[in-house]
Amino acid sequence: VKFYGVQIKDRQRVGNYTLLLYRWRGPVEPGQFVMARANGYTLDPFLARPFSFYDHDGEVASLLFEVRGRGTALLDRATQIQVTAPLGRGFEIDAAGGQVALLGGGVGVAPLKVLSRRLDELGMSHDVFLGFADARTAEVAREFTGSTVATMDGSVGSPGTVLDAVASLEGYQAVYACGPNPMLAAVKRVVAEGSICQLSVEERMGCGNGSCNGCVVPVRGGGYVRSCVEGPVFPAEVLAW
Amino acid sequence: VCRGAGLSRGGAGVVVRERATGEKLAVELCGITLKTPLIPASGTLAREALGEVEGVYGAILPKTTTPEERAGNPPPRVAETPAGMVNSIGLQNPGLERFLQELDAFDLGLPLFVSVAGDTVEEFGALCEKVGKDERVAAIELNLSCPNVECGGLTFCATPASVEEVVAVCRFAVPGKPIFAKLTFEGVVENALAAEAAGADALTVMNTIPALTIDAHRQKVLVRGGLSGPAIKPVALRAVYEVSRVVGVPILGGGGVASGMDVAEFMLAGATVVQVGTASFVRDPKEILDEFVSYLDGAELGATDLTGGLQEIRS
Repeated sequence: VKFYGVQIKDRQRVGNYTLLLYRWRGPVEPGQFVMARANGYTLDPFLARPFSFYDHDGEVASLLFEVRGRGTALLDRATQIQVTAPLGRGFEIDAAGGQVALLGGGVGVAPLKVLSRRLDELGMSHDVFLGFADARTAEVAREFTGSTVATMDGSVGSPGTVLDAVASLEGYQAVYACGPNPMLAAVKRVVAEGSICQLSVEERMGCGNGSCNGCVVPVRGGGYVRSCVEGPVFPAEVLAW
Repeated sequence: VCRGAGLSRGGAGVVVRERATGEKLAVELCGITLKTPLIPASGTLAREALGEVEGVYGAILPKTTTPEERAGNPPPRVAETPAGMVNSIGLQNPGLERFLQELDAFDLGLPLFVSVAGDTVEEFGALCEKVGKDERVAAIELNLSCPNVECGGLTFCATPASVEEVVAVCRFAVPGKPIFAKLTFEGVVENALAAEAAGADALTVMNTIPALTIDAHRQKVLVRGGLSGPAIKPVALRAVYEVSRVVGVPILGGGGVASGMDVAEFMLAGATVVQVGTASFVRDPKEILDEFVSYLDGAELGATDLTGGLQEIRS
């Protein structure tokens, strides 16, 4: 895998999360992802980490992440990072319109920002629902104007999961969601039959280019497919959750 | 066993003429000419990633095929370790029929090696017979050592008797094409001798090493599988070295190769061809080749000069 060095233009603290901004031209589809690492090729950490594009305006791309281990801790401090992108299949937007709902859980809200931007460009109105653990992680919700929030500890918005922030998903033509896999499975269960439902999955990855078969998700009819190449966004009906 | 002529340097006063890069890199393996001594390790190069390796590899080796489709193991399948990763993929593949239907996608105009794995001796034999008849296939690698598939228990994969039996059946099934036996570290010398005796044309040394990662926060096993990456390089190097001392057939060496210098080391230890696997996830394989070319330039050597060319008296 070939990586490219990019200079960090800006770093913002958003509650518990970090937002890294860097110059990145070229096409990015909402839902596509980046393999990123702080210091080039190193033995520890050895692998790059996958992150959804949080935003991309044609000139500047950004990644939203939570420091969870050494790899993300180093990215958090880096002034230059290495990336390979854009990877994977993003959200397929049905321009036919109708009411659209975006659902995000925790740091999984990341791809919804650039998706929301795309929907705005297409003139498609959409509602954003976000679920977080607590007030600190929920701070990123301010980046999503007009979003409806739920927190597990009840400190912000309605108490409970993102689904507790949504009165009903009926009436939405399309639902796009990203978050922990149990959340996505729950979203899949409540989306009205006949609606479009696309889920961006979270899996550990080795390579990001389809070679290692490490990042698979189970699919209906048996077997597994790779989230890095066939995903990370899947039509809900494809997944065996 | 006497193999190779050792390093052939220009003597005092002799001008070593710069050879063209192509000539300098080419090696021969079982009568097949490879433009470079690098090939992918099985299971580390997807069709989707072929564009990234143009001009790097001397042959292409797709992921192992089994007779029938295999779903593979449930996730999580990979876990990072310092200098490597543990994987438990479980030989996910679409089965032989679809594998052969889709094989043209791997045609980069390079020799095509096919890795096969069966659950039984008979399955190995049947696979070899079918794959061997395919004119697109230049050679077959027998995956005798995948740590993630309990093919009749480890003994089936890792004892000299079982290796000899499988290789002999495959040899009979593929009279006209080279077969390589891919071995695990455990008992590698004995298994190498058994494979050679049974008619293997070359040996792939070595597969991943059985390993375990644990998530202490959740008190759970994360991944129980095979360790790959630079962490295993010295072990693999030792395996190649020990095997090369006792067999006469060529060796496809690999295990943690991540730089051009690693390639040189494996060849010096006795490999004719070097497999790049996990490192291709974190480095551009082109850089590894470029580093190897720089090494050859600096040493004023060609790739073929390296194999088994350690400066020592070998017994």
